[in-house]
Amino acid sequence: MSISSALESSAPSDTAPAPAIDATSLVKEYGDFTAVDGITFSVRRGESFGLLGPNGAGKSTTMRMIAAVASRTEGQMLVAGLDPEQHGPEVRARLGVIPQQDNLDEELTVRENIIMYGRYFGLPRRYLRAKADELLEFAQLEHKANSRVEDLSGGMKRRLTIARALVNEPEVLLLDEPTTGLDPQARHVLWDRLFRLKESGTTLVLTTHHMDEAEQLCDRLVVVDHGAIMAEGTPAGLIREHSTREVLELRFGTDRNAEQAKTLEELLTGAGPDADFSHIEVLPDRLLVYAGQAESALEAIHAAGHKPMTSLVRRSSLEDVFLRLTGRSLID
Amino acid sequence: MTIADYPAVNKDVLSRRVRRWGALYQAEATLRSMRAYGGVILFASTFQPIMYILAMGLGLGVLVGAETDFSAYGADSYLMYIAPAILASTVAMTAGIEFTFPVMEGFKWRRKYYGAQATALTPPQIALGHILGVSCRFGLHALIFTAVLFAFGALSSPAALLMILSSTLGALAIGLPIMAYISSLRDEKGHAAIIQRFVIMPLFLFSGTFYPLTNLPQFLQVIGWVSPIWHANELGRVLAFGQPTDLWLVAVHIGYLSAIVVVAWFAVQRVFTRRLGYDEWRGRIPGLKADQRRQERQDAKAAATESYQRSEGVPPVAFRRGVGANYYSGNIRAVFSRGLTAIRNNRGIIFISGFLEPVLFLTSFGLGVSPMISGIEAADGGTISYAMFIAPALLAVSAMNGAVFDSTWNVFFKLKITKLYRTMMSTSLGPVDVAVGEIALALFRGGIYALGFLGVLVATGLVTPLPALLMWITALFIALGFACIGMAVTSFMKRFQQMDWMMMVLIPMFLFSATLFPIDVYPTGVQWVIQALPLWHGVELMRDIAFWDFGAMTLVHIGYYLVMVGVGGALAAYRMKALFLR
Ligand SMILES: Nc1ncnc2c1ncn2[C@@H]1O[C@H](COP(=O)(O)OP(=O)(O)OP(=O)(O)O)[C@@H](O)[C@H]1O
Ligand SMILES: [Mg+2]
Repeated sequence: MSISSALESSAPSDTAPAPAIDATSLVKEYGDFTAVDGITFSVRRGESFGLLGPNGAGKSTTMRMIAAVASRTEGQMLVAGLDPEQHGPEVRARLGVIPQQDNLDEELTVRENIIMYGRYFGLPRRYLRAKADELLEFAQLEHKANSRVEDLSGGMKRRLTIARALVNEPEVLLLDEPTTGLDPQARHVLWDRLFRLKESGTTLVLTTHHMDEAEQLCDRLVVVDHGAIMAEGTPAGLIREHSTREVLELRFGTDRNAEQAKTLEELLTGAGPDADFSHIEVLPDRLLVYAGQAESALEAIHAAGHKPMTSLVRRSSLEDVFLRLTGRSLID
Repeated sequence: MTIADYPAVNKDVLSRRVRRWGALYQAEATLRSMRAYGGVILFASTFQPIMYILAMGLGLGVLVGAETDFSAYGADSYLMYIAPAILASTVAMTAGIEFTFPVMEGFKWRRKYYGAQATALTPPQIALGHILGVSCRFGLHALIFTAVLFAFGALSSPAALLMILSSTLGALAIGLPIMAYISSLRDEKGHAAIIQRFVIMPLFLFSGTFYPLTNLPQFLQVIGWVSPIWHANELGRVLAFGQPTDLWLVAVHIGYLSAIVVVAWFAVQRVFTRRLGYDEWRGRIPGLKADQRRQERQDAKAAATESYQRSEGVPPVAFRRGVGANYYSGNIRAVFSRGLTAIRNNRGIIFISGFLEPVLFLTSFGLGVSPMISGIEAADGGTISYAMFIAPALLAVSAMNGAVFDSTWNVFFKLKITKLYRTMMSTSLGPVDVAVGEIALALFRGGIYALGFLGVLVATGLVTPLPALLMWITALFIALGFACIGMAVTSFMKRFQQMDWMMMVLIPMFLFSATLFPIDVYPTGVQWVIQALPLWHGVELMRDIAFWDFGAMTLVHIGYYLVMVGVGGALAAYRMKALFLR
């Protein structure tokens, strides 16, 4: 899983046009609970921006504030230069929203769902009839065009929700875990579509729990936890910054992982610069040894007489960054 | 050594115990789930009888009692005559609810019965459990009702306590056939509403509850003979005040009700066994053929229009700039047209059934009560027939009910359950577009119902065409007033239970607002309270128009509704964001 340097070259530059989304110190409180706690970010036009974070981090809440369907408690937000709370309809006219939970209209057929959604945008029926055909084809639902929504499978509903959000050819597309429930084939169709939308200048804002998806799709991303931003950068930049080049995965058996971690930590810290050791992450089923030269680290471990049940050397990925930045909440 | 002979004794005892008492376990589960809305049930059981006694027994009773004597039936007063029947009827109406939605919930919505099926319970035990649990509710309702009737001196014999049994029997006779039908369905798609309007309503209204069945023309009496409610009513009257009845007729009442219960119980058992047994039958889908035909038609239409061009760039998306642009984007039409599409996709019969209710009420009360009242004194000193008196009121009530239902329950449902408004609010629509579109839809529906009802009134000569036209507009006006208030109220609602409480407001309003009898039967203080309520103004306004008799009060009524539209609309607009952006 290599990250091309092409992505790095799309780092923010000073000559960028006015941002598609500009959020400053966003706060959202539900009663005494603070779901979003001072988030600041900015998304350039045509950029593809990712929000990562564990369950309950505040990603969906942030998305809903961008889409002007949740009010902010504090902070500023500009979408295409407009405050969504002051100019809701005008802002939403430029948006395509794919919520985390499908909210299709169960009283309408598949086709009517797309057409009616377009009518809410005030689009003419002539245009919508043709557009609906195109979107049904994209969602591979032509054969279900006149079925009731309740007769669709879960993945089909997801595809319809995604297709529907494209009916107004939005400038900014908000995708909240778009591929949850999709089969691999449908996932690739969607990725392909998103790449093409990006080429034609659409801004994408995406949340996902699939790190490979984030690496593939996002130019830039932020990792959010407990409603605050933990890190920000390109996928490659984040890996460089928060992880080592390579990772060594070791299994000692579920009961022994934790105690082995301590021993290995001492061993590798003393092993010298050869292994370029950074730290060890303890997962329930395995240990992740972060070392620039994982092979040397493994040699050192073998040399000291430790016998892991399995070992695997691989390159660092976004998943490692995610674990590093948000892993603590998993363990404690 | 097999599992069976491990701690052999215990397992055997356990499963034998379940086999014998299983239905009681299921009944307990049913009762527990009722506890969630126990407050509403208890309140309704106490409140309902008091309301009916005050309205029908004492209010209408003043009119009827002045001219008609019920001693031939063994009753001292009109109140006494109708009391046992109201008890039996309200229990039967409760059955219409308890044997529809909770059963559907068991099979489909929450699949509770499948949980029970996984235990040692047999399908008939599960069914019996539900019946027992629900019967407890009927018994409780009847007990409280009887106590209230005793307190009002409406019962003369201790045998009246047996009404708890007779009314429960009547409720089961109406409920079990419905249970058998509902449990055979794969999904509830307005079937409960259809049963309510096409079966339970007529059976209730033509069951001789508010007057002797013989007041009706022969062909309508037949409905009464078929109706379990009539048989339960008559049994109740025998028990409550010893209505003189031949013994064989009592036997017929009991026999008829029991026969229905037994036959329906076998049907219920059969359906439950099929659905929860080994073959796991998933239930019927009535109207499947019609749906398939519809789909074929649409496919054909789609095939005919296949040759559309690929879209070339999106046309501009509609939104406004300027005043209120954050609330209103000038696209009410889309919301309205979505509603029409949904109505078209639903079954037409549900739509039509809305207009049935006022017609049934008018038929029942117009024909049944008229023989007991020579007429109502009109404002100009003359008398008018009872049917003429209630017809305009029923139009106002129907406008109110439709508008309130659409602006509260329906809106809440789309807000909380189907999340339709969340979808709409992720487009360029503003909250005002959605609210106004929904109100327009409610008025459209109400307008059609009113048109149908007024057609009946003109055809039967109860109203002349010119007033009818004005009454139609007034019905829309009344509906608008209630819809605005309804929207505003809904914006404060948090849970479904609060919706039930709203019914507690609507029913007394219907009963007291000079709909079925003039309010001068009540003391002045009570009259003032009634005159402060919106429905009274609607009813009086309708009557002013129907009798073409206008005065200063007409303006007051109109003013009242203008204020309602203004205040309700303003409050709803103010609460718009709370309503749609939660
Ligand atoms: N309407 C609400 N009322 C109260 N609390 C809420 C509401 N919506 C969200 N929350 C809380 O806010 C926090 C953030 O929720 P949010 O849906 O934004 O998380 P998320 O990052 O999208 O998580 P996930 O990955 O599970 O989708 C959660 O703790 C959640 O319980
Ligand atoms: Mg989320």
